[in-house]
Amino acid sequence: MNAWEMVSMALISLRTNKLRSFLTMLGILIGVASIIAIVAIGNGGKAAVLGAIASGSAENTIQIVPRELVAPGLPQPGQVLAIDESDLAIAASFSGVQQVNYTLYGTAVVGSSNRSDNASIEAGPANLNELTRLRITRGHMFNQADVIGHRDVAVLSQSLANKLFGSGNPIGGLVTVSGVPLQVIGVAVSQEASLFSLFMGSDALYMPATTCQDLFPNWSISEMDVQAAPGTNVQNLAQRIVTALNIHAGDATAFADSSGLASSVGALLSKVTTILTLVIGAIAGIALLVGGVGVMNIMLVSVTERTQEIGIRISLGATRTAILFQFLVESATITAIGGLAGVVIGSLIGLGIRMATGIPASVPWPVAVLSFLFSAVIGVVCGLYPANKAARLNPIEALRYE
Amino acid sequence: MIELSGVCKAYKVGDEPLTVLHGIDLRIEEGEFVSIMGPSGSGKSTLMHIIGCLDTPSAGEYRLCGTSVGGLSARDLAVLRNRTIGFVFQNFHLLPRITAVRNVELPLLYAGVSRAQRRSRALELLARVGMEDRAQHLPTALSGGQKQRVAIARALANDPALILADEPTGALDQRTGLEIIELLRELHSAGRTIVVITHDPTVAAAADRTIYIVDGHIQREEVRRG
Ligand SMILES: Nc1ncnc2c1ncn2[C@@H]1O[C@H](COP(=O)(O)OP(=O)(O)O)[C@@H](O)[C@H]1O
Ligand SMILES: [Mg+2]
Repeated sequence: MNAWEMVSMALISLRTNKLRSFLTMLGILIGVASIIAIVAIGNGGKAAVLGAIASGSAENTIQIVPRELVAPGLPQPGQVLAIDESDLAIAASFSGVQQVNYTLYGTAVVGSSNRSDNASIEAGPANLNELTRLRITRGHMFNQADVIGHRDVAVLSQSLANKLFGSGNPIGGLVTVSGVPLQVIGVAVSQEASLFSLFMGSDALYMPATTCQDLFPNWSISEMDVQAAPGTNVQNLAQRIVTALNIHAGDATAFADSSGLASSVGALLSKVTTILTLVIGAIAGIALLVGGVGVMNIMLVSVTERTQEIGIRISLGATRTAILFQFLVESATITAIGGLAGVVIGSLIGLGIRMATGIPASVPWPVAVLSFLFSAVIGVVCGLYPANKAARLNPIEALRYE
Repeated sequence: MIELSGVCKAYKVGDEPLTVLHGIDLRIEEGEFVSIMGPSGSGKSTLMHIIGCLDTPSAGEYRLCGTSVGGLSARDLAVLRNRTIGFVFQNFHLLPRITAVRNVELPLLYAGVSRAQRRSRALELLARVGMEDRAQHLPTALSGGQKQRVAIARALANDPALILADEPTGALDQRTGLEIIELLRELHSAGRTIVVITHDPTVAAAADRTIYIVDGHIQREEVRRG
């Protein structure tokens, strides 16, 4: 009897008691499905958080912000709240700095001929799309010439474009910001995983920093984007610039390198997600263990119920090993099927969450394979005692058993 | 073929040992058809279990086909039950949740016969006992006589030299019982050694020789033919 035949025998036997087999499977199924779903969500959540944090750090770009902006609270009297022209000049004077740009953030009413709505405004250099991780889906990003020329152009987020233009083509259309018409040249989707946009809304308008300063002269520059030359030690350069800016401001804590800060926050968040995943995973593991105990219990009942069958099989020439394997394979088949269904259902839950929230939940295949194998192993381990009990039955007593 | 010398069997009931078989000496030659009669509780089934290698004597020696069974391993005994012995029971002992043909396949399964060969051999055997049109029936859908025919087909699966039947007609009406005995006689004519335990004198009379057991002793024997 080869392994496949043993499994097909086990299936025949399990099929004769469908409801019980299913209920036994359910424990393992729920355990595995929750492990898979938790891993998927944990992975996705981590990717979303890290993606959101990493979004502010294009390569070779140092992002410097007044510390107030990263450490919330009431500003101290005399604290630096914004970046001014002299700060930009200081940064530009460092060797290894190719270019110093800046970004402004705010909110404003944005209108089209149809309707108007509140949107967040992000204004910056031509590589703003890299700094904030935008993917242009239609049209194009504004370029250096647009920035230098203070041109009245704008890129809309997908959701804002939908609101203002409906199903029509927004490219070439006009939107008014603070009464000034801007020409729409592109539509972009934020690749910052939606953990943030989920809570903060995703109606945004992107425009050249220069244009924004013309429209909102009293908005302050909230971020300095220092473009370092390729091959520069970016971290060291960032530290020297921040020190110089702080000396200029006369306050040792006036400015901070937000990219560095982001990465340390990222590391912390990643650690937290990992711990959370482990804790919830352990709970799911306990659920799996309980499922395993359920399997053992049912197998014991099954061995007792089938005592006469075992006696008959022995009288027909079954060896003790054959009886042992029969019950082990049955038990492992139950848990393996339960595990497989658990992997499928857990993955579907992950997929559902991905579609509902945009968190990039995903199940790494080794986790899926391991969960499946592990559930088969649970079947073998939990089947061992009942199967051994079956194999040790006295054939005559077993035959007489009613 | 079967040689018992001084075979005793004792069970422990509570603290008291209960001796069921007292020094049985018995020879059954190859190709014989022997019936064993005796009152209920006299030890007939116990004797058959020992002959069938399902149980071991507490004392004495049992030789089957010239080899002493006492010296065999559990695996050897399983092989012996599988290849050399076919059991037929009073209550048929078919597995209730699998079809007739799958029941007949079981001994072939444990003999390591391939799936396709198992099926064709099992169908052949069912035809041999007149049950080919019931192959896909569950035992619950069969009458007593039909169940016993399937059980006999199963006992014949690996073409054993010895058939042991423990009251094979005990759960059947007289006519059906005689049909079963007729089937056993046919198997005997084909050269098999047959041992039948029975309460029924007409069944016992079908055998060449009848052994009477009372309280674990062989009381007498009656030879008709041979
Ligand atoms: N496992 C056992 N433990 C104790 N007594 C037993 C056991 N098996 C059989 N017996 C006793 O042995 C005696 C003979 O039983 P059995 O061989 O089945 O008789 P028969 O088949 O002739 O009716 C009975 O008295 C029965 O109670
Ligand atoms: Mg009996």
